Amino acid sequence: MSARILVVDDESHILHVLTLKLQKAGYEVITAGDGEEGLHVALAESPDLIITDLQMPYMTGVDLCRALAGRPGTAAVPVIILTARGYALSEEDLGIGNIREVVSKPFSPRLLIQMVQSLLEAGSTTRKAKAA
Amino acid sequence: MKTLLTMALGSFLLAVVIAVMAVLMVSGWGRLPIDRADWTMLAVGLGASVWALLLVGCLLTARVCEAVSTYADRLGASEPSALPRTPIWMRSLMRALSRVQQTVQQRESTWRTRVRDLEIRERIADADRARAESVLGVMREAVIVTNAFDEIVYANEAAGHLLKFDAGDSARRALGDVVADTGLCRLISETREASCGLRQIDHVIEGGDEPVCCVAMLSTLKDSTDEVSSVVTVLHDMTREREIAQLKSEFVSKASHELRTPLSSVQAYVEMLVDGEADDEASRQEFYGIIQAETERLSRLVDNMLNISRIEAGIVRVDRDAVDFEGLIDRAVQTLEPQAREKRISIHRELAPVDLHAVGDVDMLYQVVVNLVSNAIKYTPEGGRVTISADSDHLERCVHVSVADTGLGVPPDDVDRIFEKFYRIENYKRVAKGTGLGLNLCRQIIETLHGGQIGLESRLGLGSRFWFTVPMSLESEREPEAKAVAA
Repeated sequence: MSARILVVDDESHILHVLTLKLQKAGYEVITAGDGEEGLHVALAESPDLIITDLQMPYMTGVDLCRALAGRPGTAAVPVIILTARGYALSEEDLGIGNIREVVSKPFSPRLLIQMVQSLLEAGSTTRKAKAA
Repeated sequence: MKTLLTMALGSFLLAVVIAVMAVLMVSGWGRLPIDRADWTMLAVGLGASVWALLLVGCLLTARVCEAVSTYADRLGASEPSALPRTPIWMRSLMRALSRVQQTVQQRESTWRTRVRDLEIRERIADADRARAESVLGVMREAVIVTNAFDEIVYANEAAGHLLKFDAGDSARRALGDVVADTGLCRLISETREASCGLRQIDHVIEGGDEPVCCVAMLSTLKDSTDEVSSVVTVLHDMTREREIAQLKSEFVSKASHELRTPLSSVQAYVEMLVDGEADDEASRQEFYGIIQAETERLSRLVDNMLNISRIEAGIVRVDRDAVDFEGLIDRAVQTLEPQAREKRISIHRELAPVDLHAVGDVDMLYQVVVNLVSNAIKYTPEGGRVTISADSDHLERCVHVSVADTGLGVPPDDVDRIFEKFYRIENYKRVAKGTGLGLNLCRQIIETLHGGQIGLESRLGLGSRFWFTVPMSLESEREPEAKAVAA
C-alpha cells in the first residue's frame, strides 16, 4: 500500500506540481489550500507525511505543526516545511512537533521526492524495529 | 605767585641794603664805637637776608617742582613733552626723568601693541567660538563639553533635547545637577580620570518615555601642563538608523518571499519538463502556460519594486500635462471590462458634468485608476458592482476620483496598513493573487509625485471605497494666483 502524503500550500501552482510529482513517484496525495484546512484534512485522513508551506492564511505552517503535535493521532507524522522566508524559522520553531526538514523556495521537486522517500523509509524502519 | 615774587624781591633788596649798612658799619669798626643800635641793625639785616634767601629758595623750589610736576603729569597722560627749563643743579634729575620718559614711552608702545594684538585675538576667538557654537548648534548629534571639575562648559540644543535639560541654562553648572542620566555622568568622569583619549561606547539613555540607543564618543582635551582640561562628549542617536536597518531588513525579507514564490513554480515546472514528466502535449502546454504566467508575475513584481524604489529615491521623471480624467477613466474601464465580465461584475461611471482636468503624468495616473479598479474587481464576489466617480473640488482646487465596490471590505485593523509595501490582508490571499505593492505604488504616485492624497473607507463585508485627489494645477502655478487674490 502506497504512503499517503498531505501537501498544504496556498499557492495553487505549487500544490499542482507537487501533486503530479508525488503521484508519479507512486504516492497517494491529498491537498489543502491553507493551514486550517490542512489541520482538518490531517486529522481526517491520517497522512504518513506532511509537506507544508510556512506562510499561509488562517494558520501558518508552524502553527499547523504545533496543532498536529498536540494530537496523539498526528504527533508522530513527519513534517517537511517549505519556506520562501529563508531563515524565518528559529531554533524554537524547529523544535515544535515533528518538523524533520526545512526546504527553501525555490526548490527542486526531484530532491524533495528523495527527501520524502528517505523520511518514509526511516519511519518504516523505526516502526519495524519497534514491532520486533 | 607774582605777589610772592614781588615780596621776595623787596625782601631781598631790603636785606641787601641792611647788609650794605652792616658791611659799612663793620668796615668802620675800630673808628666808631659799636653801640647797641648797630648790633641790632646788623642782626635785623642778617635776619632779613636769611629770610629773603629762604623765601627766594622756596619760590625757586616751588617753581621747579611745578615744572617737574607738569612734566610728570604730561608723562602720565602720555602727552609728548620737552624737558622744562630748570636750574643747572637740577639738570641731572631732569635727564634721569627724560630717560624714564623714554623707557615709559617704549614700554607703553609695546603694551599698546600687545593690547591691540590681544584685542584682535579676542575678536578672532569670539568669532571662532560663535562659528563653532553655531555649527554645534545645528548638529543632530548631542554635544556636551565639560571641564576638569565636571561642570558643563557647553551643551548644544540636541544634547538638551536628548537628555531633557535646558541647554541655554547649563553653562558652569555641575554635570550631575543638569543631566539625569547617571550612567553618562559616570562615563564622562571616568573618561576624564582615565585621560584615555578617544572612546566610543554604546550607551542607552534611560529616563525618557523609552530608552534611546546611542553611540557615545568621548575625548579628552589637555592643557599646557598635560592635564585633562575638558571632556568632549558626542552622542549619536541610533534609533533612526536602527529603524531604517529594520525596515530594510523587512523589505528584503518580504521582497525575497514575494520573488521566491513565483520562482518556485517556474523552477518546479521547468524541472518537470526537463525530466520529461509532462506526459502529453496538453500537459506540456499547461506547464508552459504556468511558467509564462509566473514569469509575468515576477516581472510585474520587479517592475513595481523598481518603480517604488525610483520614486522614493526621487529619480523618476514625471511628464506633467493636462490630464483629462474623463478620458482616462473611459480607457481604464475599456481595459478592465473583460476581467469584470468574467465575474459578471458591472462597472459604472459617475462623472460630474464639470471640467475634470488636472495637472499630472497621464500614464502614472492611468496606472493608479487601473490598479484601484482591478483590485475592486478582484475582491468583489461574482455579480457585484464597481463604481468609478469623478468630481472637481474648486474650493480645494483638485480633482477627486473614487472607486467603490460591493466586495469583501477591508477589516478595520488592516485599514491603516493597506498602503504599506508588501502588505496583504492575510485572509484574502486565497481570494486573489497580488504582489502587495500595487497600493503602495498608487500612494507613491499620488502623494509623492503629484502632491495629492489617497485613502479608503471600508465596511467589512459590504465593500470599500478607495479615493484619491490630484491638484488641478502645480503648486508653483497656484502661488501667483494666491498672491493675486491677496492683492
